Amino acid sequence: MIGLGHYLVVSAILFTLGVFGIFINRKNIIVILMAIELILLSVNINLVAFSAYLGDLVGQVFAMFVLTVAAGEAAIGLAILVIFFRSRGTISVDDVNKMSG
Amino acid sequence: MIQAFAFYLFASILVAAATLTVFARNPVHSVLWLILSFFNAAGLFVILGAEFIAMLLVIVYVGAVAVLFLFVVMMLDVDFARMRAGFARYLPFGALLGVVLVAELVLAMGAWSAGAIALDARAAPTPAAVPNIQALGTVLYTRYLFIFEAAGFVLLVAMIGAIVLTNRQRRDLKKQDTARQIARRPEDAVRNVVNQPVGEGVTL
Amino acid sequence: MLRDLQLVAPELILCFGALGLLMVAAFVGDRSLRLVNWLSVALLGAAGLVLLGPAGNGGDAYLGLYRADLFASFAKVLIFGASAVAILAANDWFTRDGTHRPEYPILVLLAAAGSGIMVSASDLLTLYVGVELQSLAAYVLASFQRRDDRSVEAGLKYFVLGALASGILLYGISLLYGFTGTTLFDGISRALAGPEGISTGELFGLVFVFAGLAFKIAAVPFHMWTPDVYEGAPTPVTTLFATAQKVSAMALLVRVAIEAMGPAADGWRQIVIFSALASTILGGVAGVGQANIKRLLAYSSINNVGFALIGLVPGTREGVSSVLFYLAVYVAMTLGAFLCVMRMRDLDGRPVETIGSLSGLSRTQPGLALALLFFMLSLAGFPPFLGLWPKLLVFQAAVNEGYVALAAVGIVTSVIAAYYYLKIVKTMYFDEPAGAYEPGRRTATGVVIVAAALFVSPLGYLLIGPLQQASLNAASSLL
Repeated sequence: MIGLGHYLVVSAILFTLGVFGIFINRKNIIVILMAIELILLSVNINLVAFSAYLGDLVGQVFAMFVLTVAAGEAAIGLAILVIFFRSRGTISVDDVNKMSG
Repeated sequence: MIQAFAFYLFASILVAAATLTVFARNPVHSVLWLILSFFNAAGLFVILGAEFIAMLLVIVYVGAVAVLFLFVVMMLDVDFARMRAGFARYLPFGALLGVVLVAELVLAMGAWSAGAIALDARAAPTPAAVPNIQALGTVLYTRYLFIFEAAGFVLLVAMIGAIVLTNRQRRDLKKQDTARQIARRPEDAVRNVVNQPVGEGVTL
Repeated sequence: MLRDLQLVAPELILCFGALGLLMVAAFVGDRSLRLVNWLSVALLGAAGLVLLGPAGNGGDAYLGLYRADLFASFAKVLIFGASAVAILAANDWFTRDGTHRPEYPILVLLAAAGSGIMVSASDLLTLYVGVELQSLAAYVLASFQRRDDRSVEAGLKYFVLGALASGILLYGISLLYGFTGTTLFDGISRALAGPEGISTGELFGLVFVFAGLAFKIAAVPFHMWTPDVYEGAPTPVTTLFATAQKVSAMALLVRVAIEAMGPAADGWRQIVIFSALASTILGGVAGVGQANIKRLLAYSSINNVGFALIGLVPGTREGVSSVLFYLAVYVAMTLGAFLCVMRMRDLDGRPVETIGSLSGLSRTQPGLALALLFFMLSLAGFPPFLGLWPKLLVFQAAVNEGYVALAAVGIVTSVIAAYYYLKIVKTMYFDEPAGAYEPGRRTATGVVIVAAALFVSPLGYLLIGPLQQASLNAASSLL
């Protein structure tokens, strides 16, 4: 039997990759959205692994809601991205600079 | 043994695919790597005995969300060649941040086996001898009914939002008026011309 | 079952009302705008009224997922009121540049429902779904003026950072669930109070949850989105962010800190102290150089959140009630200030946002200048105005528990922040008139401005008694 720790480590690596992806991608917002999906995936691995080892279904129910909400979040993120592209013709983070101070 | 092998297979491919999602030069490749990582995460869920979540992940994520991403990547006609410039600038700082974060998290995870877990605190213990999907359904539609309905409204907001933001009336296109088409009757469209002399035109 | 439905009545009214209005909007089209607007305000009023029944203080619903207590009711009254004002204010604002659509009030209703679920959450699942219902609506509202570059950019920024914050919050939630074995706040509190103390994993969960929530209340160090989003989003939406959303996130933070993590108070207290100090200092100092009044109010909101957090530090009943009192007065001052900002338009009717354009406002529009004077002096905490009182309560709660240094720093930063509020007053009253403004128009929001100005004026002292009693009662349901 694989220990719970293994799953948690995989999830921690994914979470870090996701956060990492948000900070180093300065050119492409779509990849940032994908990095957010990776973070949510890491949370799901955590939840399902805990659920299995605790013998408790709540974790799996929670994971389902995370999936649901993540789908909605992706839809809105992409919608905002599309209107951003329409008005600027670019999806680079460096062009998100109309305001500063 | 076979379980350990499967775990390491799925986990290593998952981590590799996730890394490539973040680092791929071409966003289309990123989406494809993302899909691969979802598949492998689904594999991990199957090992954990959460078949239904695994199926959801494949159907909802790969089937809908990832394809949505792919669609948007293709739709936005972006010049990808210049997009990777300046990538290396943030790499050292990011790498340092990443190493610190992952080390801390792994350290924290090690504590799990040490701490006593309050098993009596469970709200919905997994019933024995009931399939995963049945057990989930029983909890979802009874205990978590309120959350289920609220999640429905989250999706409604996402739908309204996507439509409000991106829907635009294009005036330069000729549109179909379905109602008018359906309401059209033969009398409006066809005229019988009887006793028409040969050689003369018809006035329209 | 019926009892449960009674307890969640405010959210039911908002959600199903929004569905009905969506149908009206879909079938009648943009002509329904006026109707949908007023019906939305009526729905918010109805949702507020049912709080008088069992929904106000009726206990737990859905096996402990949702809690209808006085604390939640106090926050809900503020949230529904501020949302109603945001709908009324938007009517004039969006109609003038031709971007008003019936989806705006509907999204505000759904965001208010999400806020209601947040402040009533007594389970991590309810918390998460409430936060997301509110946030998703907020992302759309921020970029509602989709032809305006700044609005779209604000939406994008808010979305990316908000989604990151949700991810961090969720990761913390998953750790808390795993290490305590439950998602119920009561269960987490019992697990944390156990004999072996707090494990490393639980501590990590706590830190991630607080980091995620700090983003939602825009406290330092997770504040960086605030000035840009407040500046870029359409002003009625900014009003909503600065009032209703701030109240809901703050109330949620208080509930999580006291109800779920009460036994781990030593763990979160340091985080809250740091965040409170950093927010008051940064909000006070960084606001000084701002030329845009919406950015300035963003820093003001960061500063104010810092003060409210000082009340949370002691974790006592008195402290929690001072936080609630603070939020109530803060909402009135902020609503008033933003409604005044919405009336700043040049002669062509275009909105103006620079502080310089306020020059000599006292001579061109004495009424508006007087109202703005009241709000600025009250935000600065000058003696005859009501804004002073909640600050005193917060400091008193901190000092009573021995956090003297914290209160001292709070007082110093409040003096620094007073500088930029006074700068606006000086610009309005002592500078030569700059460009002329278009004359004020009669709208429903004028009534709100007058009411808010009277509330923050010394007349508001008459209300201190009842308000303090209400906030104490609300705090008692947590402690």
